[in-house]
Amino acid sequence: MGVWAYGGVGDLLIRSQTPIPPHNQTSAEKRFHPSNKAQRYMEILDVLVLALSFVMLLAIGVPISYCIGISTVVTMLLSIQTMPAFTTEAQRIATGLDSFALLAIPFFILAGQIMNQGGIARRLIDFAKAVLGVLPGGLAHVNIVASMLFGAISGSAVAAASAVGGVMAPQMEEDGYDRSFGAAVNITAATTGLLIPPSNILIVYSLASGGVSIAALFLAGYLPGLLVGLGLMGVAGVLAVRRKYPVSGRLPLKVTFKKFVDAIPSLFLLVVVMGGIVAGYFTATEAAAVAVFYALILAFIYREIKVSDLPQILLDASATTAVVLLLVGTSVGMSWIMAYVNIPQNVTETLVALTDNKIVILLIINIILLSVGTFMDMTPAVLIFTPIFLPIAVELGIDPTHFGIIMVLNLCIGLCTPPVGSVLFVGVGVAETSITQVIRPLLPLFIAMVVSLLIVTYVPWLSLWLPGVFGY
Amino acid sequence: MNADERGREWGRGRKACSQTTTLMQKQSKIQHEAKPTDGVNLKSKIDQGLAWVVIVVMAVLVIDVLWQVFTRFVLRDPSSFTEELARYLLIWVGLLGASYAAGQRMHLAVDLLPSKLTGRRKRYLSLVIEGCTLVFAFFALVVGGANLVRVTLLLGQTSAALQVPLGYVYLAVPLSGLLIMFYAAYAMVEQVRALRGASPGASAEAGPSPLSLE
Repeated sequence: MGVWAYGGVGDLLIRSQTPIPPHNQTSAEKRFHPSNKAQRYMEILDVLVLALSFVMLLAIGVPISYCIGISTVVTMLLSIQTMPAFTTEAQRIATGLDSFALLAIPFFILAGQIMNQGGIARRLIDFAKAVLGVLPGGLAHVNIVASMLFGAISGSAVAAASAVGGVMAPQMEEDGYDRSFGAAVNITAATTGLLIPPSNILIVYSLASGGVSIAALFLAGYLPGLLVGLGLMGVAGVLAVRRKYPVSGRLPLKVTFKKFVDAIPSLFLLVVVMGGIVAGYFTATEAAAVAVFYALILAFIYREIKVSDLPQILLDASATTAVVLLLVGTSVGMSWIMAYVNIPQNVTETLVALTDNKIVILLIINIILLSVGTFMDMTPAVLIFTPIFLPIAVELGIDPTHFGIIMVLNLCIGLCTPPVGSVLFVGVGVAETSITQVIRPLLPLFIAMVVSLLIVTYVPWLSLWLPGVFGY
Repeated sequence: MNADERGREWGRGRKACSQTTTLMQKQSKIQHEAKPTDGVNLKSKIDQGLAWVVIVVMAVLVIDVLWQVFTRFVLRDPSSFTEELARYLLIWVGLLGASYAAGQRMHLAVDLLPSKLTGRRKRYLSLVIEGCTLVFAFFALVVGGANLVRVTLLLGQTSAALQVPLGYVYLAVPLSGLLIMFYAAYAMVEQVRALRGASPGASAEAGPSPLSLE
């Protein structure tokens, strides 16, 4: 359980005030009494209560963080006394947020917000356009590469989808692209930024896994992120040719060069952040704070942000991250109760008993995560399922860094699918189209993502080569 | 719409980005302006106060971490308190921000069922949803949080660098619980009021109001 398990008041309360019921022996004791039937039934009951209450609340439309919180507390009440249960939940939420690494998330989102409003995103897009406009389906490629660059810097797919989509959607339509096609490209491309570092979700995974190095995860994300990006570009290019979308004319070299020079300060941000982290100068959180500072200076130099805009930007970024942070807090509570009632261990035992073939188990995990991803947001999914699946992966000899990349890429696909797909919603919103219209052009792009997922899953080299080069 | 407006739009929360919610936003704004009540006034005051607290804490957080970098690289004398302060402020900004987001209806939910219902049924459903929120906020955040604060203060735990009693740090939990309860209760009162008097065709959701300091 790593970081989450640090002994706090809640543990103390439970130990001191609660007589331990028979089914609450420690997992070590349990291992020696696998035949205890009553205890098995109690565990099955716990799982049923947890899963059913969660799904029911989710289905009627209770906000996800409260769904997680309520089902956690209800499950706790089965085995812990009332007051300690409430207190433990409160304590898990508070200590779940008590993490310096987690602070990188609001900072990266803040930096993204500033870059978006401060003209930095636009310069990146202009640069991508000058270079890639000549390819068939030029603007689609521009959209993908700009998303990779922007998503990389801001660490958030939602930010990338709205920033790049907001600029690209009108331009693509002007050039004769189908609106829903443009939205589909934008939505899938936005998720590549979650693999290409810096990435907020990889920070969350690092926490949930109990200490996989953030720098190693960041480095591991580069090649898989590029692979997905190239796959999407390939599919988008073929579709663009088939649909006879226009190729914009070649720009004079001088103009291309000027766009490049304009984009250098924005691109340099990536160098500062990643260079600082990989070389060990900064932690991810410090790098994120530096990114905020740097983006702010640039935005002031470009004269696109005034000091009086700052409170609103700070509020937007804080409120957006607070939604994620409450999810983190309640998910930490849920993964605690799951460990308490031995769910991860039981899942591992069941899966390993089913088959010990690495390829098959990875396939099963991928299929479970894909279906989880369709109805669950990424952050709680990573926080809840990492403690369940990571032990299996490690037992099978899969590197935790590699497994993190598999998990994130897998859940990226869920971000683009209904009914819960935050990136899908934003992408559809900024392109002013509808989910039903976007589904058709999304399908071939999904296939590209799933193929990339299979490659990343079964070729560990892709994820592990770069961290190896830097000695992680 | 230019890039800047888009940027603000995503900041309002992912849900607020769809066209329908933007429309509802306008609608609810008009409704609010049409019949201002004490509840609305109190809510907007709490909204504003909360917004400013969140803004200030967030700004302090950025400065705090930049100071940490500055003291290490420039002064070569790493500050001892910055990391701890940042962690505790994150708890506060996270939880108070979450209650602010609750007031703005920004928390993510699967709205398949609510979007299928109309009229009175939709109002009954939102009463159930707000009721769940209220119960969770009361038991887990307010009762559990208050007990957490009490026990932590009793045990006399203090932080390593700043020597702050940890109980005060955890005070953010019951406080945000109270705020979330207020917003849920406010939404429930609105629904009940509408169920008693409003025309059945009116929008059944209060709708996210735009993030605004005005």
